[in-house]
Amino acid sequence: MKKAIIAGTISLFSLPIFGQGQQTFGGQLHGNFQLDGQLYLRDENIDPSGEFYPDERFLGQGYANFIYSDGNFSSGLRYENYQNVMLGFPEGYRGEGITYRYLQFKQDGLDITVGNFYEQFGTGMVFRSYEERGLGYDNAMDGVRLKVSPVSGLNIKAVMGRQRFYFQKSPGVLRGLDAEYNLASELLPKLDSAGLRWTLGASFMSKYQRANDPFLNLPENVATAGARTQLSKGPFAFQAEFAYKANDPSADNGNIYKDGNGFLATLSYSKNGLGLIAGIKRIDNMSFRSDRNGSTIDMLVNYLSPTAQVHTYALPALYQYATQINGEEGVQLEANYKFKRKSLLGGKYGTLVSLNYSVIQSINKDFVNTNMDTLRVLQGYYSDPLIRGTIPYYHDWNFTVSKKINRRLKVNAMYINLFYNRSVLESGLGDESIQANPDDQQVMNGDIFILESLFKVKRKHYLRTEFQHLSTEGDRGSMAMALAEYSIAPHWFFSVQDIYNYGNADESQRLHYPLASVVYTAGTSRFQLSYGRQQRGIFCVGGVCRVVPPSNGISFSLTSSF
Amino acid sequence: MKKFFPLLFTACLTLVFTWQCDTIEQPFSNGGSTDTTSQQQRNVLIEDFTGHRCKNCPKASKQIDTLIATFGENRIVGLAIHAGPNNFTAVTTDYPTDLTTQEGRDVQSFFGTNFLPCGMINREGWTSTGNTHIRTYQSWPTLSAEAMDSTLKVALSATAAITGGNLVVNTTATPLTNLLHDLDLVVLVKESGIVSPQLLPDNTKDADYIHKNVLRDYVTPITGVEIGTSPVLANSPLTHADTLAWNASWVQSNAKVVVYAFNPENNRILQVIQMEID
Repeated sequence: MKKAIIAGTISLFSLPIFGQGQQTFGGQLHGNFQLDGQLYLRDENIDPSGEFYPDERFLGQGYANFIYSDGNFSSGLRYENYQNVMLGFPEGYRGEGITYRYLQFKQDGLDITVGNFYEQFGTGMVFRSYEERGLGYDNAMDGVRLKVSPVSGLNIKAVMGRQRFYFQKSPGVLRGLDAEYNLASELLPKLDSAGLRWTLGASFMSKYQRANDPFLNLPENVATAGARTQLSKGPFAFQAEFAYKANDPSADNGNIYKDGNGFLATLSYSKNGLGLIAGIKRIDNMSFRSDRNGSTIDMLVNYLSPTAQVHTYALPALYQYATQINGEEGVQLEANYKFKRKSLLGGKYGTLVSLNYSVIQSINKDFVNTNMDTLRVLQGYYSDPLIRGTIPYYHDWNFTVSKKINRRLKVNAMYINLFYNRSVLESGLGDESIQANPDDQQVMNGDIFILESLFKVKRKHYLRTEFQHLSTEGDRGSMAMALAEYSIAPHWFFSVQDIYNYGNADESQRLHYPLASVVYTAGTSRFQLSYGRQQRGIFCVGGVCRVVPPSNGISFSLTSSF
Repeated sequence: MKKFFPLLFTACLTLVFTWQCDTIEQPFSNGGSTDTTSQQQRNVLIEDFTGHRCKNCPKASKQIDTLIATFGENRIVGLAIHAGPNNFTAVTTDYPTDLTTQEGRDVQSFFGTNFLPCGMINREGWTSTGNTHIRTYQSWPTLSAEAMDSTLKVALSATAAITGGNLVVNTTATPLTNLLHDLDLVVLVKESGIVSPQLLPDNTKDADYIHKNVLRDYVTPITGVEIGTSPVLANSPLTHADTLAWNASWVQSNAKVVVYAFNPENNRILQVIQMEID
């Protein structure tokens, strides 16, 4: 233990000196660095009023991670700077400092972490602490985490601490416990020999936040609990989780005291080139934050995964789905099949076809009359899980064919039919308002065609192209996009693209959005320089989203690791 | 035994730390203290960043009304600062009245807010890094109650009158304890009863919405004027006079002057008062 503390102290104070080396005091030191910046140019076409044009012409931000490990001991820290935070990232990131530091050691069957850590219980419906730098999302815990495995197959985690809130901490304290047991180990070894893997899990999380509201008796302790199971045998796999949350009046739910619950299940099959996945999810009032007054992506305790495909192509990515934490229900079905080589549809190299369907809508909500004060606040609404909600939030069904034509050429062709309820997903209009005025919803219903090809020009030289077309009368109207990327392995990468919003109902907004980039890679370092326009949109990772404002300028990014 | 030590330890943790949950059956409290007098008590300035095309902003305004109804307008001072993204605040054919001011935009820019509605309660929690001073309207009752319960360090009194077309405000600030920081003062004018369209939470427009507490102008610079230099001694009254050319488009009977004293090191507002204009 003494050795661990000494090593930790040495590692923390020796980082600037030994940053170039990997072997330090017998342990391993490694890390990574990223710096992003953009010089903003005034563009009256995309931002007529200058609303998004920053007072500072240049904005930049970066971070560096350093991790030292030696046997059962590890430690690390992260320095972040926002000088100042770039457009589209949360404004709470102001300034600079060490935002993440920890010490971890394993001893006597205990895995102990003090300081910052990320952790997840089950699917995350009860608790997930994680970071997504592209979103500016970071709800790292600051406290203590214990992990133990007292008997074979049983894993227990206990956490206690407060979540990160930009450069401060959330006001609520979290205390949680998670246990997962693999039944096919010592308890039922016959399961293992029969090829069946079966685990059961349970989690509990409690939040304490002081309350001093003059009008409402707010619960200072709010608990949530979940139970889950995972089964797999041969090509089949099944997992399900149910979570329950006690009364938790908050800014998200309009200060109602209704309990929350969530259910998530997926069934999959994979064999002989055929893959099938079916998922179902229903959440009801499951927003859970370590500050009851939190908003946007701040201080979320749990994670509600989306039942929608995450698109990486530029045009469908303009309309990504964001999980509606106050309530939604959805289904996702996915099938893919690889036609074998030398078959009728497989051709010489085989053909992969994929079909995805996802639909998400509101849950059934019968709102309590606003005149019934106490019941309105206590209950808010009644919801019958057996009755479908009436407000469509989103649907996406798409079909993809991927085929290698010859030794030099691969192509992907994709069709997407997308429905996107802008009133819900962009404007944040509540179900009660929409139920009262269903005809006022703003939606985007569109068809997207994508053709992508990758062509090997010669050894180490590749050309990738994309052609995309969105056909819609909703939102900004139809768009077309073309992209060409030329890479010379392993150092150079050149890219040009243009999106033309030719179908915008506002003729002055029928604009081109060109973007050109050059990337140079040397070893583990990468430098990117780009120039062009970016249109407004929503950037999402895993159902969590942020709004991206329009911008024009020169941006760069430098990443390096050791 | 060594094998079971971690399990035993974790079980103890579970019992001690996690099994906590409050079930509330009566959601309404008695409203807490309703002492509405402002003498020798710390009052609350709620700076409400708002916009006439922000559909949730009327909820924030209603929250201020509820607090004033409970604690009185001596204790709760509302200030609606129309500033923020243009899609919430800009003038359009449907929303023709410009309720924004350059000073309001400067305040909004300095405190780093870009979503509406949101606000600051006596600017508590401000730091040069982070965002903890920006609070959603749902938290205003709690934060206001806490601010009103805190110790008053500066007593304020002021008079406001229009003389010869000018608004003249005379202020006296009396520190009630020794202050180891400078003391700054801000004076501003707000106006209520402005009838102009507002987008409502159900996405409909109320053409005859009555806007309250709308920031009109600052009499002092928005960053304030220094009236005391550290150390500021207790019970030594500090006086200050300010003048502003009165804008004839403002309705005097609907206007009020707001005066607040604050610590310039952390922007924390120590006391705020408001008054009619004679």
